[in-house]
Amino acid sequence: MASTQAPSKNDARAAAETKPEQTVAEQKPAAALEEDDEFEDFPVDDWETEDAEAANGSSEGTQHLWEESWDDDDTSDDFSAQLKEELKKVEASKKR
Amino acid sequence: MNSMLEDFGEALADRNGYQLAQTLSPSLPDETLRGIFKSCNAHDVRLILQRNIQRSFPGMMDKNTNNEVQAWVEVYHCYWKTIGEILAIQDSSANGKSSQWAQSSWTKVYQNWHEMLNVLIRGYLNSHFEAWTIPCLYVAGKHLRIFAIKADAERNSSSSLDTGGANFEDDFNPESEKNKQLEDCARQLNRVFNLCLSDRSPLEESRKWGIYYVINLLFKTYFKLNSASLSKNILKALSAGRGDMPPLPAFPKSQQVTFKYYEGVLRFLEEDYAQAEHHLTEAWNLCHKDAVRNKELILTYLIPCHLLTTHTLPSLKLLEPYPRLQKLFLPLSNSIKKGDLHAFDLALLEGEDEFVKRRIYLTLERGRDIALRNLLRKVFIAGGFEEPKEEGAKPVRRSRIPIAEFAAAISLGSQETLEDDEVECLLANMIYKNLMKGYIARERGILVLSKSGAFPGTGV
Repeated sequence: MASTQAPSKNDARAAAETKPEQTVAEQKPAAALEEDDEFEDFPVDDWETEDAEAANGSSEGTQHLWEESWDDDDTSDDFSAQLKEELKKVEASKKR
Repeated sequence: MNSMLEDFGEALADRNGYQLAQTLSPSLPDETLRGIFKSCNAHDVRLILQRNIQRSFPGMMDKNTNNEVQAWVEVYHCYWKTIGEILAIQDSSANGKSSQWAQSSWTKVYQNWHEMLNVLIRGYLNSHFEAWTIPCLYVAGKHLRIFAIKADAERNSSSSLDTGGANFEDDFNPESEKNKQLEDCARQLNRVFNLCLSDRSPLEESRKWGIYYVINLLFKTYFKLNSASLSKNILKALSAGRGDMPPLPAFPKSQQVTFKYYEGVLRFLEEDYAQAEHHLTEAWNLCHKDAVRNKELILTYLIPCHLLTTHTLPSLKLLEPYPRLQKLFLPLSNSIKKGDLHAFDLALLEGEDEFVKRRIYLTLERGRDIALRNLLRKVFIAGGFEEPKEEGAKPVRRSRIPIAEFAAAISLGSQETLEDDEVECLLANMIYKNLMKGYIARERGILVLSKSGAFPGTGV
Protein backbone atom coordinates (compact mmCIF):
# COMPACT_ATOMS: atom_id res chain seq x y z
CA MET A 1 0.00 0.00 0.00
CA ALA A 2 2.59 2.47 1.10
CA SER A 3 4.43 2.19 -2.17
CA THR A 4 1.79 4.20 -3.91
CA GLN A 5 1.77 7.02 -1.45
CA ALA A 6 2.25 10.57 -2.61
CA PRO A 7 5.51 10.14 -4.42
CA SER A 8 4.86 13.03 -6.72
CA LYS A 9 4.79 15.45 -3.82
CA ASN A 10 8.08 14.18 -2.52
CA ASP A 11 9.61 14.34 -5.94
CA ALA A 12 8.40 17.82 -6.55
CA ARG A 13 9.82 18.88 -3.23
CA ALA A 14 13.09 17.10 -3.87
CA ALA A 15 13.34 18.81 -7.22
CA ALA A 16 12.57 22.16 -5.68
CA GLU A 17 15.23 21.69 -3.06
CA THR A 18 17.87 20.40 -5.35
CA LYS A 19 17.73 23.27 -7.76
CA PRO A 20 17.34 26.51 -5.94
CA GLU A 21 19.07 28.43 -8.74
CA GLN A 22 16.93 27.23 -11.56
CA THR A 23 16.48 29.61 -14.40
CA VAL A 24 13.10 30.45 -15.79
CA ALA A 25 13.76 28.28 -18.81
CA GLU A 26 14.45 25.30 -16.63
CA GLN A 27 11.24 25.67 -14.73
CA LYS A 28 9.10 25.59 -17.80
CA PRO A 29 8.97 21.81 -18.24
CA ALA A 30 7.73 21.39 -14.69
CA ALA A 31 4.85 23.78 -15.31
CA ALA A 32 3.95 21.95 -18.49
CA LEU A 33 3.84 18.70 -16.56
CA GLU A 34 1.29 20.13 -14.19
CA GLU A 35 -1.37 20.85 -16.75
CA ASP A 36 -0.75 17.53 -18.39
CA ASP A 37 -3.74 15.27 -18.81
CA GLU A 38 -1.90 12.42 -17.18
CA PHE A 39 -4.00 10.36 -14.84
CA GLU A 40 -2.76 10.84 -11.30
CA ASP A 41 -1.69 8.10 -8.95
CA PHE A 42 -4.29 7.46 -6.30
CA PRO A 43 -3.07 7.96 -2.73
CA VAL A 44 -4.39 4.51 -1.88
CA ASP A 45 -4.24 1.30 -3.82
CA ASP A 46 -7.76 0.05 -3.27
CA TRP A 47 -11.00 1.22 -1.66
CA GLU A 48 -14.42 0.09 -0.63
CA THR A 49 -17.36 0.27 -3.00
CA GLU A 50 -18.98 2.96 -0.88
CA ASP A 51 -15.98 5.22 -1.46
CA ALA A 52 -16.41 4.94 -5.21
CA GLU A 53 -18.08 7.68 -7.21
CA ALA A 54 -21.03 5.47 -8.12
CA ALA A 55 -22.01 5.30 -4.46
CA ASN A 56 -21.68 9.06 -4.18
CA GLY A 57 -24.92 9.89 -5.94
CA SER A 58 -26.74 7.21 -3.93
CA SER A 59 -29.96 5.73 -5.31
CA GLU A 60 -30.39 8.19 -8.12
CA GLY A 61 -27.48 6.73 -10.04
CA THR A 62 -25.59 8.89 -12.47
CA GLN A 63 -28.50 9.61 -14.77
CA HIS A 64 -29.47 12.87 -13.14
CA LEU A 65 -26.04 14.26 -13.89
CA TRP A 66 -26.88 14.46 -17.56
CA GLU A 67 -29.64 16.53 -19.04
CA GLU A 68 -31.30 16.85 -22.41
CA SER A 69 -29.58 19.09 -24.88
CA TRP A 70 -32.60 21.24 -25.67
CA ASP A 71 -34.38 23.72 -23.54
CA ASP A 72 -38.13 23.99 -24.02
CA ASP A 73 -38.47 26.86 -21.57
CA ASP A 74 -36.55 28.89 -24.05
CA THR A 75 -39.08 28.22 -26.82
CA SER A 76 -41.25 31.19 -26.08
CA ASP A 77 -43.30 33.46 -28.28
CA ASP A 78 -40.17 35.49 -28.43
CA PHE A 79 -38.67 33.10 -30.90
CA SER A 80 -41.78 33.05 -33.10
CA ALA A 81 -41.73 36.83 -33.22
CA GLN A 82 -38.05 36.93 -34.06
CA LEU A 83 -38.58 34.32 -36.71
CA LYS A 84 -41.42 36.28 -38.33
CA GLU A 85 -39.33 39.40 -38.27
CA GLU A 86 -36.44 37.58 -39.92
CA LEU A 87 -38.75 36.05 -42.53
CA LYS A 88 -40.00 39.47 -43.49
CA LYS A 89 -36.46 40.74 -43.81
CA VAL A 90 -35.49 37.84 -46.05
CA GLU A 91 -38.59 38.27 -48.20
CA ALA A 92 -37.91 41.95 -48.53
CA SER A 93 -34.32 41.46 -49.54
CA LYS A 94 -35.37 38.89 -52.15
CA LYS A 95 -37.88 41.22 -53.78
CA ARG A 96 -35.24 43.82 -54.25
CA MET B 1 20.49 1.19 6.21
CA ASN B 2 19.87 -1.10 9.14
CA SER B 3 16.24 -0.19 9.61
CA MET B 4 15.73 -0.55 5.88
CA LEU B 5 17.12 -4.07 5.99
CA GLU B 6 15.12 -4.86 9.09
CA ASP B 7 12.00 -3.90 7.16
CA PHE B 8 13.24 -6.09 4.38
CA GLY B 9 13.49 -9.07 6.74
CA GLU B 10 10.06 -8.38 8.16
CA ALA B 11 8.45 -8.08 4.73
CA LEU B 12 10.13 -11.29 3.69
CA ALA B 13 8.86 -13.12 6.74
CA ASP B 14 5.32 -11.79 6.20
CA ARG B 15 5.49 -12.23 2.43
CA ASN B 16 4.22 -8.65 2.18
CA GLY B 17 5.07 -7.37 -1.29
CA TYR B 18 4.09 -3.75 -0.71
CA GLN B 19 6.12 -3.49 2.46
CA LEU B 20 9.04 -5.00 0.60
CA ALA B 21 8.65 -2.54 -2.26
CA GLN B 22 8.62 0.32 0.22
CA THR B 23 12.21 -0.51 1.17
CA LEU B 24 13.15 0.19 -2.44
CA SER B 25 11.42 3.54 -2.67
CA PRO B 26 13.74 6.42 -3.57
CA SER B 27 11.16 9.03 -2.63
CA LEU B 28 11.97 9.30 1.06
CA PRO B 29 12.81 12.30 3.23
CA ASP B 30 16.31 13.58 2.48
CA GLU B 31 17.64 12.75 5.94
CA THR B 32 16.53 9.17 5.50
CA LEU B 33 18.16 8.88 2.11
CA ARG B 34 21.33 10.46 3.44
CA GLY B 35 21.29 8.11 6.43
CA ILE B 36 21.07 5.09 4.19
CA PHE B 37 23.79 6.29 1.91
CA LYS B 38 26.20 7.31 4.67
CA SER B 39 25.90 4.03 6.56
CA CYS B 40 28.38 2.38 4.24
CA ASN B 41 30.84 3.17 1.49
CA ALA B 42 31.65 1.83 -1.91
CA HIS B 43 34.08 -0.70 -0.44
CA ASP B 44 31.99 -2.28 2.24
CA VAL B 45 28.46 -1.85 0.88
CA ARG B 46 28.26 -5.33 -0.62
CA LEU B 47 29.62 -6.93 2.51
CA ILE B 48 27.14 -5.13 4.74
CA LEU B 49 24.24 -5.95 2.47
CA GLN B 50 25.32 -9.55 2.21
CA ARG B 51 25.55 -9.95 5.97
CA ASN B 52 22.21 -8.33 6.71
CA ILE B 53 20.22 -9.89 3.95
CA GLN B 54 21.57 -13.35 4.75
CA ARG B 55 20.32 -12.90 8.27
CA SER B 56 16.76 -12.60 6.92
CA PHE B 57 16.99 -16.14 5.57
CA PRO B 58 17.03 -18.37 8.59
CA GLY B 59 17.65 -22.08 8.18
CA MET B 60 19.67 -23.97 5.66
CA MET B 61 21.56 -21.95 3.12
CA ASP B 62 21.11 -24.13 0.05
CA LYS B 63 22.04 -23.19 -3.47
CA ASN B 64 18.67 -21.64 -4.31
CA THR B 65 18.53 -19.53 -1.20
CA ASN B 66 22.05 -18.41 -1.77
CA ASN B 67 21.13 -17.33 -5.30
CA GLU B 68 18.21 -15.35 -3.96
CA VAL B 69 20.40 -13.65 -1.37
CA GLN B 70 22.92 -12.70 -4.04
CA ALA B 71 20.15 -11.32 -6.24
CA TRP B 72 18.79 -9.13 -3.43
CA VAL B 73 22.30 -7.94 -2.64
CA GLU B 74 22.60 -6.83 -6.25
CA VAL B 75 19.24 -5.07 -6.14
CA TYR B 76 20.03 -3.14 -2.97
CA HIS B 77 23.50 -2.33 -4.20
CA CYS B 78 21.94 -0.62 -7.24
CA TYR B 79 19.46 1.08 -4.98
CA TRP B 80 22.28 2.40 -2.82
CA LYS B 81 24.17 3.69 -5.85
CA THR B 82 21.05 5.45 -7.17
CA ILE B 83 20.56 7.21 -3.87
CA GLY B 84 24.16 8.34 -4.05
CA GLU B 85 23.48 9.95 -7.40
CA ILE B 86 20.32 11.65 -6.17
CA LEU B 87 22.22 13.09 -3.22
CA ALA B 88 25.05 14.17 -5.50
CA ILE B 89 22.63 16.35 -7.45
CA GLN B 90 21.51 18.02 -4.25
CA ASP B 91 25.07 18.53 -3.04
CA SER B 92 26.35 20.01 -6.25
CA SER B 93 23.53 22.51 -6.47
CA ALA B 94 23.83 23.35 -2.77
CA ASN B 95 27.55 24.03 -3.17
CA GLY B 96 26.83 26.17 -6.18
CA LYS B 97 29.19 24.21 -8.37
CA SER B 98 29.02 24.76 -12.06
CA SER B 99 25.72 23.45 -13.28
CA GLN B 100 27.59 21.43 -15.88
CA TRP B 101 28.13 18.73 -13.30
CA ALA B 102 24.64 18.69 -12.03
CA GLN B 103 23.19 18.49 -15.47
CA SER B 104 24.18 14.97 -16.33
CA SER B 105 23.11 13.71 -12.96
CA TRP B 106 19.51 12.77 -13.56
CA THR B 107 20.75 10.73 -16.46
CA LYS B 108 23.11 9.00 -14.05
CA VAL B 109 20.29 8.41 -11.61
CA TYR B 110 18.32 6.90 -14.47
CA GLN B 111 21.19 4.64 -15.48
CA ASN B 112 21.67 3.28 -11.99
CA TRP B 113 17.97 2.74 -11.50
CA HIS B 114 17.80 1.05 -14.88
CA GLU B 115 20.51 -1.32 -13.71
CA MET B 116 18.41 -2.13 -10.66
CA LEU B 117 15.46 -2.94 -12.87
CA ASN B 118 17.69 -5.21 -14.94
CA VAL B 119 18.77 -7.09 -11.84
CA LEU B 120 15.15 -7.45 -10.77
CA ILE B 121 14.05 -8.73 -14.17
CA ARG B 122 16.93 -11.20 -14.24
CA GLY B 123 15.98 -12.33 -10.74
CA TYR B 124 12.47 -13.14 -11.88
CA LEU B 125 13.57 -14.82 -15.08
CA ASN B 126 15.94 -17.04 -13.08
CA SER B 127 13.17 -17.79 -10.59
CA HIS B 128 15.07 -16.25 -7.67
CA PHE B 129 12.14 -14.04 -6.73
CA GLU B 130 8.62 -15.21 -6.04
CA ALA B 131 5.56 -13.56 -7.55
CA TRP B 132 4.41 -11.95 -4.32
CA THR B 133 7.39 -9.61 -4.57
CA ILE B 134 6.13 -7.93 -7.79
CA PRO B 135 5.38 -4.60 -6.09
CA CYS B 136 9.16 -4.19 -6.31
CA LEU B 137 8.69 -4.02 -10.08
CA TYR B 138 6.02 -1.35 -9.56
CA VAL B 139 8.40 0.86 -7.59
CA ALA B 140 11.18 0.23 -10.06
CA GLY B 141 9.00 0.97 -13.11
CA LYS B 142 7.30 3.96 -11.63
CA HIS B 143 10.50 5.73 -10.66
CA LEU B 144 12.29 4.73 -13.83
CA ARG B 145 9.68 6.81 -15.64
CA ILE B 146 10.00 9.72 -13.21
CA PHE B 147 13.79 9.71 -13.55
CA ALA B 148 13.54 9.46 -17.34
CA ILE B 149 11.29 12.52 -17.50
CA LYS B 150 13.64 14.44 -15.22
CA ALA B 151 16.68 13.41 -17.23
CA ASP B 152 15.03 14.51 -20.48
CA ALA B 153 13.88 17.82 -19.05
CA GLU B 154 17.32 18.49 -17.63
CA ARG B 155 19.12 17.67 -20.87
CA ASN B 156 16.69 19.71 -22.95
CA SER B 157 16.98 22.78 -20.79
CA SER B 158 20.76 22.57 -20.69
CA SER B 159 21.15 22.05 -24.42
CA SER B 160 18.83 24.92 -25.18
CA LEU B 161 20.84 27.12 -22.86
CA ASP B 162 24.23 26.04 -24.15
CA THR B 163 23.78 25.93 -27.85
CA GLY B 164 20.90 28.27 -28.47
CA GLY B 165 19.41 27.78 -31.91
CA ALA B 166 22.27 25.71 -33.27
CA ASN B 167 20.30 22.50 -32.81
CA PHE B 168 18.04 23.33 -35.69
CA GLU B 169 20.79 22.71 -38.19
CA ASP B 170 21.60 19.27 -36.88
CA ASP B 171 20.40 16.33 -38.84
CA PHE B 172 18.47 14.41 -36.25
CA ASN B 173 14.90 13.97 -35.22
CA PRO B 174 14.53 16.59 -32.50
CA GLU B 175 11.35 15.01 -31.15
CA SER B 176 12.91 11.64 -30.43
CA GLU B 177 16.11 13.24 -29.21
CA LYS B 178 14.05 15.29 -26.80
CA ASN B 179 12.53 12.19 -25.22
CA LYS B 180 15.54 9.92 -25.50
CA GLN B 181 15.40 8.67 -21.93
CA LEU B 182 11.66 8.29 -21.83
CA GLU B 183 11.71 6.24 -25.01
CA ASP B 184 14.26 3.96 -23.46
CA CYS B 185 12.03 3.78 -20.41
CA ALA B 186 9.12 2.65 -22.60
CA ARG B 187 11.27 -0.20 -23.89
CA GLN B 188 12.19 -1.25 -20.36
CA LEU B 189 8.58 -1.14 -19.23
CA ASN B 190 7.69 -3.28 -22.19
CA ARG B 191 10.17 -5.87 -20.95
CA VAL B 192 8.43 -5.83 -17.58
CA PHE B 193 5.09 -6.19 -19.36
CA ASN B 194 6.31 -9.31 -21.14
CA LEU B 195 7.85 -10.59 -17.95
CA CYS B 196 4.42 -10.50 -16.33
CA LEU B 197 2.47 -11.65 -19.37
CA SER B 198 4.61 -14.68 -20.11
CA ASP B 199 4.58 -16.18 -16.63
CA ARG B 200 3.17 -19.69 -16.88
CA SER B 201 2.96 -20.39 -13.14
CA PRO B 202 -0.40 -21.20 -11.56
CA LEU B 203 -2.48 -18.05 -11.17
CA GLU B 204 -2.19 -17.73 -7.40
CA GLU B 205 1.57 -17.38 -7.68
CA SER B 206 1.79 -15.70 -11.05
CA ARG B 207 3.40 -12.46 -12.07
CA LYS B 208 0.28 -11.88 -14.18
CA TRP B 209 -1.01 -10.04 -11.12
CA GLY B 210 1.45 -7.31 -11.99
CA ILE B 211 0.17 -6.81 -15.51
CA TYR B 212 -2.28 -3.94 -15.08
CA TYR B 213 0.07 -1.83 -13.00
CA VAL B 214 2.70 -2.14 -15.70
CA ILE B 215 0.20 -1.53 -18.51
CA ASN B 216 -0.93 1.68 -16.83
CA LEU B 217 2.67 2.86 -16.60
CA LEU B 218 3.13 2.04 -20.28
CA PHE B 219 -0.03 3.92 -21.25
CA LYS B 220 1.11 7.00 -19.39
CA THR B 221 4.49 6.77 -21.04
CA TYR B 222 3.12 6.32 -24.55
CA PHE B 223 0.72 9.23 -24.10
CA LYS B 224 3.55 11.44 -22.96
CA LEU B 225 5.61 10.38 -25.95
CA ASN B 226 2.68 11.29 -28.17
CA SER B 227 2.48 7.74 -29.43
CA ALA B 228 -0.78 6.73 -27.83
CA SER B 229 -1.37 4.36 -30.72
CA LEU B 230 1.39 2.07 -29.43
CA SER B 231 -0.95 1.29 -26.55
CA LYS B 232 -3.04 -0.70 -28.98
CA ASN B 233 -0.31 -3.34 -29.22
CA ILE B 234 -0.55 -3.74 -25.49
CA LEU B 235 -4.33 -4.14 -25.62
CA LYS B 236 -3.95 -6.69 -28.40
CA ALA B 237 -1.41 -8.74 -26.48
CA LEU B 238 -3.64 -8.49 -23.45
CA SER B 239 -6.80 -9.67 -25.15
CA ALA B 240 -4.88 -12.52 -26.79
CA GLY B 241 -3.88 -13.75 -23.35
CA ARG B 242 -7.06 -12.78 -21.58
CA GLY B 243 -8.21 -16.38 -21.23
CA ASP B 244 -5.67 -17.23 -18.56
CA MET B 245 -5.49 -13.77 -17.02
CA PRO B 246 -7.15 -12.87 -13.73
CA PRO B 247 -10.27 -10.79 -14.51
CA LEU B 248 -9.87 -7.02 -14.18
CA PRO B 249 -12.32 -6.67 -11.24
CA ALA B 250 -9.97 -8.88 -9.21
CA PHE B 251 -7.33 -6.12 -9.28
CA PRO B 252 -7.11 -3.13 -6.93
CA LYS B 253 -9.52 -0.33 -7.89
CA SER B 254 -6.72 2.16 -8.48
CA GLN B 255 -5.45 -0.09 -11.26
CA GLN B 256 -8.92 -0.75 -12.66
CA VAL B 257 -9.84 2.92 -12.86
CA THR B 258 -6.57 3.96 -14.46
CA PHE B 259 -6.79 1.17 -17.00
CA LYS B 260 -10.41 1.98 -17.86
CA TYR B 261 -9.59 5.66 -18.25
CA TYR B 262 -6.83 5.00 -20.75
CA GLU B 263 -8.81 2.32 -22.57
CA GLY B 264 -11.66 4.82 -22.87
CA VAL B 265 -9.44 7.63 -24.11
CA LEU B 266 -7.89 5.30 -26.67
CA ARG B 267 -11.30 4.36 -28.03
CA PHE B 268 -12.18 8.03 -27.99
CA LEU B 269 -9.17 8.84 -30.16
CA GLU B 270 -10.26 6.10 -32.56
CA GLU B 271 -13.67 7.81 -32.67
CA ASP B 272 -15.35 4.70 -31.29
CA TYR B 273 -17.52 6.79 -29.01
CA ALA B 274 -19.87 4.05 -27.83
CA GLN B 275 -16.96 1.96 -26.54
CA ALA B 276 -15.26 5.05 -25.16
CA GLU B 277 -18.36 5.97 -23.24
CA HIS B 278 -18.64 2.46 -21.86
CA HIS B 279 -15.08 2.39 -20.51
CA LEU B 280 -15.09 5.95 -19.24
CA THR B 281 -18.38 5.43 -17.42
CA GLU B 282 -16.89 2.41 -15.68
CA ALA B 283 -13.84 4.46 -14.73
CA TRP B 284 -16.12 7.20 -13.42
CA ASN B 285 -18.24 4.84 -11.34
CA LEU B 286 -15.27 3.11 -9.75
CA CYS B 287 -13.16 6.22 -9.22
CA HIS B 288 -12.50 7.26 -5.65
CA LYS B 289 -14.94 10.04 -4.83
CA ASP B 290 -12.21 12.31 -3.47
CA ALA B 291 -9.93 12.01 -6.50
CA VAL B 292 -11.11 15.30 -7.97
CA ARG B 293 -8.42 15.76 -10.59
CA ASN B 294 -8.89 12.25 -11.94
CA LYS B 295 -12.65 12.65 -12.03
CA GLU B 296 -12.13 15.88 -13.92
CA LEU B 297 -9.96 14.06 -16.45
CA ILE B 298 -12.54 11.33 -16.94
CA LEU B 299 -15.26 13.93 -17.54
CA THR B 300 -13.10 15.80 -20.04
CA TYR B 301 -13.63 12.87 -22.39
CA LEU B 302 -16.92 11.56 -21.09
CA ILE B 303 -18.75 14.84 -21.75
CA PRO B 304 -17.94 14.97 -25.49
CA CYS B 305 -18.83 11.25 -25.67
CA HIS B 306 -22.22 11.86 -24.15
CA LEU B 307 -22.86 14.72 -26.51
CA LEU B 308 -22.40 12.46 -29.52
CA THR B 309 -23.82 9.16 -28.30
CA THR B 310 -26.86 10.22 -26.29
CA HIS B 311 -27.04 13.91 -27.21
CA THR B 312 -27.05 14.85 -23.55
CA LEU B 313 -25.21 17.63 -21.78
CA PRO B 314 -23.64 17.76 -18.33
CA SER B 315 -25.91 19.25 -15.69
CA LEU B 316 -24.79 22.21 -13.61
CA LYS B 317 -24.73 19.89 -10.64
CA LEU B 318 -22.24 17.61 -12.36
CA LEU B 319 -19.95 20.49 -13.32
CA GLU B 320 -20.24 22.29 -10.00
CA PRO B 321 -17.04 20.96 -8.39
CA TYR B 322 -14.95 21.56 -11.52
CA PRO B 323 -14.42 25.23 -12.42
CA ARG B 324 -12.04 24.21 -15.16
CA LEU B 325 -14.66 22.05 -16.84
CA GLN B 326 -17.24 24.79 -16.48
CA LYS B 327 -14.98 27.14 -18.34
CA LEU B 328 -14.31 24.49 -20.94
CA PHE B 329 -17.83 23.27 -21.61
CA LEU B 330 -20.47 25.70 -20.36
CA PRO B 331 -20.37 28.20 -23.23
CA LEU B 332 -20.68 25.38 -25.76
CA SER B 333 -23.32 23.68 -23.71
CA ASN B 334 -25.46 26.80 -23.45
CA SER B 335 -25.24 27.57 -27.15
CA ILE B 336 -26.25 24.01 -28.02
CA LYS B 337 -29.28 24.28 -25.76
CA LYS B 338 -30.38 27.52 -27.32
CA GLY B 339 -29.63 26.35 -30.83
CA ASP B 340 -27.46 29.43 -31.15
CA LEU B 341 -25.08 28.51 -33.95
CA HIS B 342 -23.21 31.77 -33.83
CA ALA B 343 -22.51 31.45 -30.10
CA PHE B 344 -21.47 27.86 -30.71
CA ASP B 345 -18.93 28.85 -33.34
CA LEU B 346 -17.59 31.56 -31.06
CA ALA B 347 -17.30 29.19 -28.10
CA LEU B 348 -15.49 26.65 -30.24
CA LEU B 349 -13.10 29.29 -31.46
CA GLU B 350 -12.59 30.66 -27.98
CA GLY B 351 -11.66 27.27 -26.55
CA GLU B 352 -9.84 26.02 -29.62
CA ASP B 353 -6.33 25.83 -28.13
CA GLU B 354 -7.51 24.03 -25.05
CA PHE B 355 -9.77 21.68 -27.01
CA VAL B 356 -7.00 20.78 -29.43
CA LYS B 357 -4.59 20.17 -26.59
CA ARG B 358 -7.09 17.83 -24.94
CA ARG B 359 -7.75 16.14 -28.29
CA ILE B 360 -11.47 16.83 -28.07
CA TYR B 361 -11.81 19.57 -30.69
CA LEU B 362 -12.98 17.37 -33.56
CA THR B 363 -15.49 15.61 -31.37
CA LEU B 364 -16.94 18.84 -30.01
CA GLU B 365 -17.12 20.31 -33.49
CA ARG B 366 -19.64 17.61 -34.30
CA GLY B 367 -21.82 19.02 -31.53
CA ARG B 368 -22.84 21.73 -34.01
CA ASP B 369 -25.29 19.23 -35.46
CA ILE B 370 -27.01 19.05 -32.11
CA ALA B 371 -27.19 22.82 -31.91
CA LEU B 372 -28.69 22.92 -35.40
CA ARG B 373 -31.13 20.15 -34.51
CA ASN B 374 -32.31 22.19 -31.54
CA LEU B 375 -32.71 25.27 -33.68
CA LEU B 376 -34.81 23.42 -36.26
CA ARG B 377 -36.79 21.86 -33.45
CA LYS B 378 -37.62 25.33 -32.21
CA VAL B 379 -39.00 26.23 -35.63
CA PHE B 380 -41.14 23.12 -35.54
CA ILE B 381 -42.50 23.95 -32.11
CA ALA B 382 -43.06 27.62 -32.97
CA GLY B 383 -45.16 26.40 -35.89
CA GLY B 384 -47.87 25.43 -33.46
CA PHE B 385 -50.69 23.02 -34.21
CA GLU B 386 -52.90 22.22 -37.20
CA GLU B 387 -56.59 23.06 -37.07
CA PRO B 388 -58.16 19.93 -35.61
CA LYS B 389 -60.09 18.06 -38.32
CA GLU B 390 -62.80 17.00 -35.97
CA GLU B 391 -64.01 18.04 -32.58
CA GLY B 392 -61.93 16.68 -29.66
CA ALA B 393 -59.23 15.11 -31.82
CA LYS B 394 -55.71 15.10 -30.42
CA PRO B 395 -53.97 18.23 -31.68
CA VAL B 396 -51.36 17.56 -34.35
CA ARG B 397 -48.34 19.78 -34.88
CA ARG B 398 -48.00 21.53 -38.17
CA SER B 399 -45.70 19.19 -40.06
CA ARG B 400 -45.37 20.94 -43.43
CA ILE B 401 -42.99 23.76 -42.93
CA PRO B 402 -41.74 26.16 -45.59
CA ILE B 403 -38.01 25.85 -46.04
CA ALA B 404 -37.88 29.64 -45.93
CA GLU B 405 -38.75 29.43 -42.22
CA PHE B 406 -35.77 27.20 -41.57
CA ALA B 407 -33.60 29.47 -43.67
CA ALA B 408 -34.70 32.43 -41.59
CA ALA B 409 -34.04 30.54 -38.37
CA ILE B 410 -30.59 29.51 -39.52
CA SER B 411 -29.69 33.03 -40.48
CA LEU B 412 -30.99 34.15 -37.09
CA GLY B 413 -28.94 31.49 -35.35
CA SER B 414 -25.72 31.80 -37.27
CA GLN B 415 -25.94 35.51 -38.05
CA GLU B 416 -25.13 34.89 -41.66
CA THR B 417 -27.49 34.36 -44.58
CA LEU B 418 -27.19 31.11 -46.47
CA GLU B 419 -28.20 30.30 -50.03
CA ASP B 420 -31.37 28.22 -50.33
CA ASP B 421 -29.34 25.29 -51.64
CA GLU B 422 -27.12 25.40 -48.58
CA VAL B 423 -30.13 25.37 -46.30
CA GLU B 424 -31.57 22.36 -48.10
CA CYS B 425 -28.22 20.66 -47.81
CA LEU B 426 -28.17 21.22 -44.04
CA LEU B 427 -31.70 19.87 -43.73
CA ALA B 428 -30.89 16.81 -45.86
CA ASN B 429 -27.89 16.16 -43.62
CA MET B 430 -30.04 16.31 -40.52
CA ILE B 431 -32.38 13.75 -42.04
CA TYR B 432 -29.48 11.55 -43.11
CA LYS B 433 -28.03 11.61 -39.59
CA ASN B 434 -31.41 10.64 -38.21
CA LEU B 435 -31.58 13.77 -36.11
CA MET B 436 -34.76 14.72 -37.92
CA LYS B 437 -37.37 12.61 -39.70
CA GLY B 438 -39.07 13.72 -42.89
CA TYR B 439 -38.41 14.62 -46.49
CA ILE B 440 -37.88 17.71 -48.57
CA ALA B 441 -40.55 18.50 -51.15
CA ARG B 442 -38.35 20.63 -53.36
CA GLU B 443 -40.83 21.75 -55.97
CA ARG B 444 -43.10 23.12 -53.26
CA GLY B 445 -40.28 24.45 -51.14
CA ILE B 446 -41.41 22.75 -47.97
CA LEU B 447 -40.09 20.25 -45.51
CA VAL B 448 -42.55 17.51 -44.63
CA LEU B 449 -41.83 16.24 -41.15
CA SER B 450 -42.86 12.94 -39.67
CA LYS B 451 -46.06 13.16 -37.62
CA SER B 452 -44.76 10.62 -35.17
CA GLY B 453 -41.48 11.88 -33.79
CA ALA B 454 -40.10 14.50 -36.14
CA PHE B 455 -37.07 14.92 -33.91
CA PRO B 456 -36.32 11.43 -32.57
CA GLY B 457 -35.67 11.16 -28.88
CA THR B 458 -36.70 14.72 -28.07
CA GLY B 459 -40.37 14.17 -27.28
CA VAL B 460 -41.76 15.78 -30.44
